[in-house]
Amino acid sequence: MLTHANRKSIVSRRFPPARGAVALGSTPIRHIVNWLGLLALSVLLIGCGGGGGGGSSAPSSQNTVAPTTTPLIQTQPTESELNAASRFASRASFGMNYDQIRALSIKGHDTWLQEQFALPIEYHDEMVADLIERTEDGEFDEATEPDPDVLPFVFRRYVWWHRAFTADDVLRQRIAFALSEIFVVSEVGGLGDTERALPNFYDVLLARSFGNYRSLLRAVTLHPSMGFYLSHVNNSKADPDNNIYPDENFARENMQLFSIGLYEMNPDGSYKYDTLGDPIPAYTDDDIREFAKVFTGLSWGGENARFGRKWANYVVPMEMFDEYHEQGTKKLLNGFEIPAGQTGMEDIEDAIDNIFNHANVGPFIGRQLIQRLVTSNPSPQYVRRVAEAFADNGLGVRGDMKTVIRAVLLDPEATTDPGTYAQFGKLREPILRIVSIGRQFHIQNTSEYFFHGGYWIQNQLRQHPLSSPSVFNFFLPSHMPNGEIAEANLVAPEFQITTNPAVIGISNLTQHLIWADNIGGVQSPPFGEMSVNLHEYSVLATDVQGLLDRLDMVLTYGTLSEATRNAIGATLVTIADPMERAKWAIYLVLISPDFAVML
Amino acid sequence: MVSRRSFLGHGCSLGVAATTLTSSMATLGFARQAAAQQSFSDYKALVCVCLNGGNDSYNMLVPVDSDQHTEYESIRTDLALEQSTLLTLPGTSTDGRSFGLHPNMSETVDLYGDGDIAFIANVGTLIDYVDAAAVEAGARVPLGIGSHNDQIAQWQTARPDRRVPEGWGGRLADLMQGVNADNGISMNISLAGTNAFQAGKRTVEYAINRDGDGARRIWGYEGEWKKTIIDRLFEAEHDHPFRREYKRRLVGAIDTGERFVEAIQNGTPVDTTFSEGDFSAGLRQIARVIAAREQLGASRQTFFINIWGWDHHDEVLDNHVRMLPEISLGLAEFKSALIELGVFDQVSTFTISDFGRTLTTNGKGSDHGWGGHQMVMGGAVRGGQIYGNYPTLSSSSPLDVGRGVYVPTTAVDQYFAELALWFGVSQSDLPLVLPNVRRFYSASDASPPLGFLA
Repeated sequence: MLTHANRKSIVSRRFPPARGAVALGSTPIRHIVNWLGLLALSVLLIGCGGGGGGGSSAPSSQNTVAPTTTPLIQTQPTESELNAASRFASRASFGMNYDQIRALSIKGHDTWLQEQFALPIEYHDEMVADLIERTEDGEFDEATEPDPDVLPFVFRRYVWWHRAFTADDVLRQRIAFALSEIFVVSEVGGLGDTERALPNFYDVLLARSFGNYRSLLRAVTLHPSMGFYLSHVNNSKADPDNNIYPDENFARENMQLFSIGLYEMNPDGSYKYDTLGDPIPAYTDDDIREFAKVFTGLSWGGENARFGRKWANYVVPMEMFDEYHEQGTKKLLNGFEIPAGQTGMEDIEDAIDNIFNHANVGPFIGRQLIQRLVTSNPSPQYVRRVAEAFADNGLGVRGDMKTVIRAVLLDPEATTDPGTYAQFGKLREPILRIVSIGRQFHIQNTSEYFFHGGYWIQNQLRQHPLSSPSVFNFFLPSHMPNGEIAEANLVAPEFQITTNPAVIGISNLTQHLIWADNIGGVQSPPFGEMSVNLHEYSVLATDVQGLLDRLDMVLTYGTLSEATRNAIGATLVTIADPMERAKWAIYLVLISPDFAVML
Repeated sequence: MVSRRSFLGHGCSLGVAATTLTSSMATLGFARQAAAQQSFSDYKALVCVCLNGGNDSYNMLVPVDSDQHTEYESIRTDLALEQSTLLTLPGTSTDGRSFGLHPNMSETVDLYGDGDIAFIANVGTLIDYVDAAAVEAGARVPLGIGSHNDQIAQWQTARPDRRVPEGWGGRLADLMQGVNADNGISMNISLAGTNAFQAGKRTVEYAINRDGDGARRIWGYEGEWKKTIIDRLFEAEHDHPFRREYKRRLVGAIDTGERFVEAIQNGTPVDTTFSEGDFSAGLRQIARVIAAREQLGASRQTFFINIWGWDHHDEVLDNHVRMLPEISLGLAEFKSALIELGVFDQVSTFTISDFGRTLTTNGKGSDHGWGGHQMVMGGAVRGGQIYGNYPTLSSSSPLDVGRGVYVPTTAVDQYFAELALWFGVSQSDLPLVLPNVRRFYSASDASPPLGFLA
């Protein structure tokens, strides 16, 4: 479980009163950030001071924000270096604007990773808990839509967007989001009606994104939200007289989805086959039943804990009650047997070790992380290299996530020029397309809260964090879209939610985000009005080709096709007003197949 | 390994007409050509209702005879529904047994009494008939038994022996799409986005929403300037297969969206009142599409609607009380709307679900099983009957592979063959739609696969 900072430190992070619009990367936010004590933020913002031409420090359309003054004197990176940095950013972050990409390029990807690994964690539940307390104190009494009674249930969504748009530890936020699509819990099915179950689970992912996979698997196993979602909370030992046997739900999905998958794998992720040519199951129904015995005896933790208690506690790990834990030996994978006579927690630790040390974990989890971050169809060699990083971080440690993340993001296959491998690339996840609009186009707010409810976005996209319809995520890693993609024997998971309504929905949402004065679904006075700031691009827009060059670099890192570019150019020359021209340029690039598919 | 091989041999000797399948595949191209020229004078639709997660259907359709109910209670213990609360269905099964429905499914009892709904008992995915002893001995069983995504996929693909992307509704459309107007709107319409059932080799589903007029439109596309710039953007050709696919989807959605909305708005209005809730709202939208069938130029359509949340490891009793009435009421409302439109005889609505669940309990709910019971509703349905074999419940049942997980006694292939033949698929084309059907049903059989459709 994550270590919750104590209440005192949370309270000390309260935001100052609203004081006019805040543009990210501008001076006021630095002040706020410094005031918050998160000095490390400024590390990320190096280069945001402008100097690259048309920087983010341009005045907001809503109020006056003094530009930062001292440009950093740096060598201007080459176009190809900028494109490489932009491409890296599209995988390792929620999107970067031009100045951030330039800074990243100067800094180097490896150094940036090191810095990101070291940044303090911007937790979600911590902020949610703080906001709830302030609501109870009456601070948001002027809120009308929703009113203060409902706010505590909406904060988890507000905070997700706030972090997505503003967090400095953006690599960690990006990885946690990817992990939330592997270790799935969802608002669907009951958790959505709680205030803190989902953000608290998300904090577990954030806390362990750069830790060890074993620790991640353990924390997920013991988290009450997972206990509820896969029903191993209050899972009792067998009562054969009454035909009652342990719940198999978590035991099964833990292996199928969170760790080893259905079939025995080679280190490169390919299946092993038996003499009849069938893939070899990684576990049997009997194995599931043995693991189900292990995950008995857990109930809600915290005050007044007892087995079978109905009242949930979602903010402390589940507790073991040995009298409800199945006694006796348990035969696990690869011939390992848990001895009789252990405590429940000893059994769980053994079971986690047993799974963690299975040879499938590296290729199974590694391949999915590649798919979430980089490409849908990695070569077996790429998977193998990541699996090797999982197996040993170079210091003999298995499961070191930092090493795995570096292997995924810095692999030669990932960094070789686009187009080198014909099958390389992935469809962007729709929700991440929306997030990146904010990140890349200087989202600003009249308050310090970059809040969004996300309901309309979810309705349009059928995707929103922690809202998958089932434990199988929004799409399967193996999804093969009908037609030429399936005929080429390629998978393209994100196409599973790219339906008629969704593909129109994202195009309209994109238009909304570019033009709206307030993109938030949050109307309440205390939370302000949020919009993108396109000043940088209106300045560039006097030169159509220069504008397209910049957009190609920031959004598609040099992969905007000539045909798309010409089509957009032909439209832009008919628009005289620079701001309108910039908006149409951005809209058309963002809805184009060139942006939708990252190569 | 030996046992598996010998079992396969055994299966073949039981009458798997392998040659039939092969020769049908060889004539695939010819069949498609023939189908393309085919036309129907009538309209028919199949509505697939997916109870996603694995409905605990042994608590939906329950034996009420004293001896079997006692057995049921002794196996299910804390999950058992009391005999007195069950809604007894009129009549008895062919083997003289009586059954009752879950207490919150009163509308379904009425539908059953009116002869509009039938049950298929203990149906599930099979590669061939097996019993518990054969499974124990290593008989070949569907891939990923007990795994949600495999099982719910196989219910849609009818390929328990392979993981394939296309479903039997998609194969239907590959064969039949030509009977509908060539307007870019698929014969297969989904209220649940992408799904395996409706994916064919050449067909994809047409996904619509349950709210509004189903399809979305690009803002401002009705204006000439916006249309010009959008069309220009998507004239561009692409080198990457993913970019080509994305372009196809967006262009297709823009193009058909305009047409679809116009058709729906010009269709016969549906006056039947539907209750709130996703299932009823989805069925209402399906009724509206059916009401616009002429505007859409459709003489054959399939629909797919999905209801999440049937994976009741926990609180199965409470969840059934909440969820089964929505299904029951929705079906009754849908019947009313179809009668209003005069097409109740032409629309067959059937349920699927991942699997049945363990008869034994985990103290809170039930775990993943195999065979389960399904419903089929329509004017053409010979309702008021239970088809297939409802197993005799017993702690020593020869079907029990453990924990009260019963091997299916009817294959999904039989269930679907009945629907496909009614829909207009010829006997000779049936294996193109249901590749394994000949293991369970031969074209030379005098009787229909199960007999629930007139």
